[in-house]
Amino acid sequence: MQTEWARYIRRIFSEETAFTVSIAILILGIIVAYWTWRWVNTVLQTAGVDDIVEGTPFERTAQSFGTSTISILSQLAALFVYITAIILALNVAQLMDVQLFWAQLTGYLPRLFIAILAVILGLVAGDKAKLVVSDRLRSVKLPEAGLIPEIVKYSIFYIAALLALSQIGVATDALLVLLAAYAFGLVFLSGLAFKDLLSAGAAGIYLLFAEPYAIGDKVKIDDKRGIVQEVDMFVTHVEADGEEYIIPNQQVFRSGIVRIRD
Amino acid sequence: MTALEDLSADVVADVDATLLFSPSVSTYETFEDDGGEETTVVVAPENTVEAEHYVELPLEFTDVTGRIRFGLEGAVEQDLVGDEDVVACVTTLFDDGMDTVVRVHADEFTRAGVYDLFVNSRAEAAVIRDVFEVAIELGKKGQKGKRVGALFVVGDAGKVMNKSRPLSYNPFEKSHVHVGDPIVNVMLKEFSRLDGAFVISDSGKIVSAYRYLEPSAEGVDIPKGLGARHMAAGAVTRDTNAVAIVLSESDGMVRAFKAGELILEIDPEEY
Repeated sequence: MQTEWARYIRRIFSEETAFTVSIAILILGIIVAYWTWRWVNTVLQTAGVDDIVEGTPFERTAQSFGTSTISILSQLAALFVYITAIILALNVAQLMDVQLFWAQLTGYLPRLFIAILAVILGLVAGDKAKLVVSDRLRSVKLPEAGLIPEIVKYSIFYIAALLALSQIGVATDALLVLLAAYAFGLVFLSGLAFKDLLSAGAAGIYLLFAEPYAIGDKVKIDDKRGIVQEVDMFVTHVEADGEEYIIPNQQVFRSGIVRIRD
Repeated sequence: MTALEDLSADVVADVDATLLFSPSVSTYETFEDDGGEETTVVVAPENTVEAEHYVELPLEFTDVTGRIRFGLEGAVEQDLVGDEDVVACVTTLFDDGMDTVVRVHADEFTRAGVYDLFVNSRAEAAVIRDVFEVAIELGKKGQKGKRVGALFVVGDAGKVMNKSRPLSYNPFEKSHVHVGDPIVNVMLKEFSRLDGAFVISDSGKIVSAYRYLEPSAEGVDIPKGLGARHMAAGAVTRDTNAVAIVLSESDGMVRAFKAGELILEIDPEEY
């Protein structure tokens, strides 16, 4: 398509004009690339991206090279625009007769661009997710809890790498199978592990909405008899002289409730 | 100047511990790194400086005596400060940073149990704080028109419900409103219209309004001159493990009762 309108310019103007046009395209490309750089920079800045990426290892590595995540991203965008302009100019000038090569390159370039973007975003998002998760878990003083943020981080890295590889056309089928197995294992195992919590939660929703018994009622559940002190999503607190039974809601449901009225 | 400097040196001489009230990170670090023998205890609403010794301040006490009393009780309770120790308290009296140093003996105050009220009650400390804020807010808003009174019974809700009866249809039945929810601030005006006591559970759920409390008031010793609402509050906390927070209709003060005794008195106008 590009070659068509290159030929079109050639037909209207002379050979020299086509060359001048290609130079103009080059200069325009520089200007547009500069504006893209400026624009992406401001947009990312106003979107607060610099605050979001603050403290992630990727940002710190970028800082040590005297740059930042935002400037890398905006430079990438500018580079993309500029390379497009060069290809366009070469096309118009028809300096090289290797059109097939350029046609392929123009098809390949956006994908390479997306792949680089995926890697950068993946690195930042993974680090960020790790920070957020470990911040959430900070109150949990358990050494094993430190594993969870790492798992989250590397899961995101893995997906980003997969995206990037598939963009540049590397066969990723095996990796995809691995991802599917991992996701299945995660869903299956967590389903298994959270089974009781889920059923307690489901029973808890009914208990909270329908309120068959309320705080202050005297009840008997199994052989536990006492006053209801608290009903929440997962458990019911029943207290009887100095003993507080904390009963999972699905057990309340399964064995039924005796309300004692006297 | 020397007389003044001598005096301030005397104030901080031979102290066993320093209580820093809501210090900035740099202030805390200079105190922590000075290599002195005395313990540094941070008293603040949140442990932002990640101090080793920390007492949580549940309310922004505007009154310095109340603030120091709470911090000291908390520090003694957590064994950060011994009963015989001399403590220097660094705090804010006016609005601009650390401007006050107070020298105080740990046994200066008779233990009123203010710290105990928040930390060792059945209900969570955050819930008690939220109820205080509701009562204080109600005290302020009520004063613009006519004064209102209110009685909140916090914690041990099952027992409290059993020792009370409804005066009217319970507006909170099948609702799941917790103190501290934003909607509670909207409902404040409605609150002042309801008679009887509010019952709030350990986790902060508003269980009921319009409750008529029926504890036995025998042997409840509260200061003379306080009305029936306070008497009911004192009695119910003696009979159950609940804490009662009362907004007085006659003098507009917020008072807290635990185990039948008056623990804390706050003037809403100061907040």
